[in-house]
Amino acid sequence: MAFEKDLEKAKEKAKKVKLFAHDVHGVLTPNTFLCDIEGRRKYTFWHMDGFGDLSFTANGIQIAFLDTTSIDEEGLFRARELKLDKFYYKIKDKIAKLDELKKELGISDENVGYIGCEVTDIGVMKRAGFVVATADAIDEAKEIADYITAAPGGRGPIREVCEFILRAMGKWEEWVEKVTKMGYK
Amino acid sequence: MNKEAAIEKAKKVRFVILDIHGVLTDSVLYYLDDGKKSECFSLHDRLGCMALMEGGIGVSFLTSKITRTDEQVAKVYNVPLDKLWGTSAKMGKLDEFEKESGLKDEDICYVGDEMIDLGIMKRVGFSVAPLDASIEARSVAHYITKAAGGRGVVREVAELILRAQGKWQAVIDSLLKKGI
Repeated sequence: MAFEKDLEKAKEKAKKVKLFAHDVHGVLTPNTFLCDIEGRRKYTFWHMDGFGDLSFTANGIQIAFLDTTSIDEEGLFRARELKLDKFYYKIKDKIAKLDELKKELGISDENVGYIGCEVTDIGVMKRAGFVVATADAIDEAKEIADYITAAPGGRGPIREVCEFILRAMGKWEEWVEKVTKMGYK
Repeated sequence: MNKEAAIEKAKKVRFVILDIHGVLTDSVLYYLDDGKKSECFSLHDRLGCMALMEGGIGVSFLTSKITRTDEQVAKVYNVPLDKLWGTSAKMGKLDEFEKESGLKDEDICYVGDEMIDLGIMKRVGFSVAPLDASIEARSVAHYITKAAGGRGVVREVAELILRAQGKWQAVIDSLLKKGI
């Protein structure tokens, strides 16, 4: 199914984002795991999504991982690697967690950006100000979304949406220049 | 077969039997230098298996040999270990299961991708093949998923069956409440 989105409207919404939240599986990963004969599992992430998350925090936008379906501690390891402090592990109620975060940061729904792909994301997607779905999200998520990434989960959606938001805010060019001169880690 | 006809068949399903290689996986084998092997599974299918069981529909894995990898995946998907069936005599296993459970061919959905699956696919009430299954399996199947093997075939079948039976939203709401 094709979903037409008004990009100008999406940009207006993106400008207001102060907190960007996402789950781990299906967004940072392709929602897959490798399993070996000892039962050890491996998960794949996307290199440049790390740059995406770090670019948000470097530009004053808070990042929160709202993890619901981690089997092991894969999301936690990734959050630690990226030195993100807002990591919520195996939470049941994403809406309640977001309400808590909004209160803590003194922001409202319109300041919340969210990218999702599954039934576990729909509740939050109905409330957030700027809503994104991955290329391989379920139709219900794509319908609600203001923007759909070209990248499927685990293949760079955060990198893509980070550029979209920072461009909407007029911060992208300056950020890229800074990174290429000074680095970002 | 069109989707409407598939939905009619899906309404009757009470038990789903899943082939593993090519259905739960993309058929790719990853070998480490020590000879240990990994395979790639989908967390979408975890949701699919959990949704089916939450909706009162049984789930089993049927493959020629159950490995420790399959057992570990069953744990992740919450599929009971007694529903892991390792035999290449798939028709014989179906006979045995039907006798034991009292279920009939039309109550059963089978998802398979290869020639070893054809006999059972021709027999059951609702047979499904992944998008990238063999031509033979796709030509026998009542329904071909949009998902390729290892990329959410079971989730798609689960949603189709549970929607056909009018249970999908209630099952998802109940799983969300419990925590997926």
